[in-house]
Amino acid sequence: MTYWALNAFFLAAVALVALAAVVKARSARTAADPRRSDTGPRWSAVGLAAIALLITTAVFDNVMIGIGLVAYNPDLISGAFVGIAPLEDFAYAIAAVVLLPSLWHLLPARGSRPSTGTRPSTGSGTAGAPGPSTDSGTAGGPRA
Amino acid sequence: MGLLYLAALLVSLTGMVVLDRRFQLYFWADARRAAVVSAVGVVFFVVWDLFGIGLGIFFRGETAFMTGLQVAPELPLEELFFLALLVYVTMNLYGAFGRLLAPAVSKRGVGA
Repeated sequence: MTYWALNAFFLAAVALVALAAVVKARSARTAADPRRSDTGPRWSAVGLAAIALLITTAVFDNVMIGIGLVAYNPDLISGAFVGIAPLEDFAYAIAAVVLLPSLWHLLPARGSRPSTGTRPSTGSGTAGAPGPSTDSGTAGGPRA
Repeated sequence: MGLLYLAALLVSLTGMVVLDRRFQLYFWADARRAAVVSAVGVVFFVVWDLFGIGLGIFFRGETAFMTGLQVAPELPLEELFFLALLVYVTMNLYGAFGRLLAPAVSKRGVGA
């Protein structure tokens, strides 16, 4: 099996998770649950993160291959390269930037925003209430 | 020499933690969700790696920069930290861009 064929399976799995996240967000909108605090993956943020991640991958994958951390069977890769990095390697970055935000939005959100600045949320306060933030002044604002 | 790559990964991961904490991007936005996403993400990519190794597509290089410890044949210990870094970088970026793009909607959390 070639590297691209392998990637196809894993990218398909990623696509299914993304689809689930979109469907969940859509049904939440339909239900118009006033307590909902999540509208699904923000694809504009995904796109910008993807650009940054692909550039980072291009740089560091070349370094990693250049210093000999990993090597490839030339018979199983397409032969398309970015520098010395096989194009197939970029599937990891694409998968990460679609899969992980989708998973994030599929999981139930923590009940409320944290009330202190530097600690992980402890779930105090009213569950899912998206009202004005009390700890960031007017910037938080009521959710539209 | 053998610790160089691992050390670089740990330094990078530390940087991600610092950014996360400073801007509440990922674990500091919702620790429970971040833990689940990270665990699922790393396992997903490890399985991907194992298939690639098992199919003979890629393998560990000959280098003095790694410890030589392997968690599975041709799967260096360092790869686990690399995949954790990939996950952390991705979610910090997503959290940061989500915040920048919609500052009036949510000042906190990964696109929450």
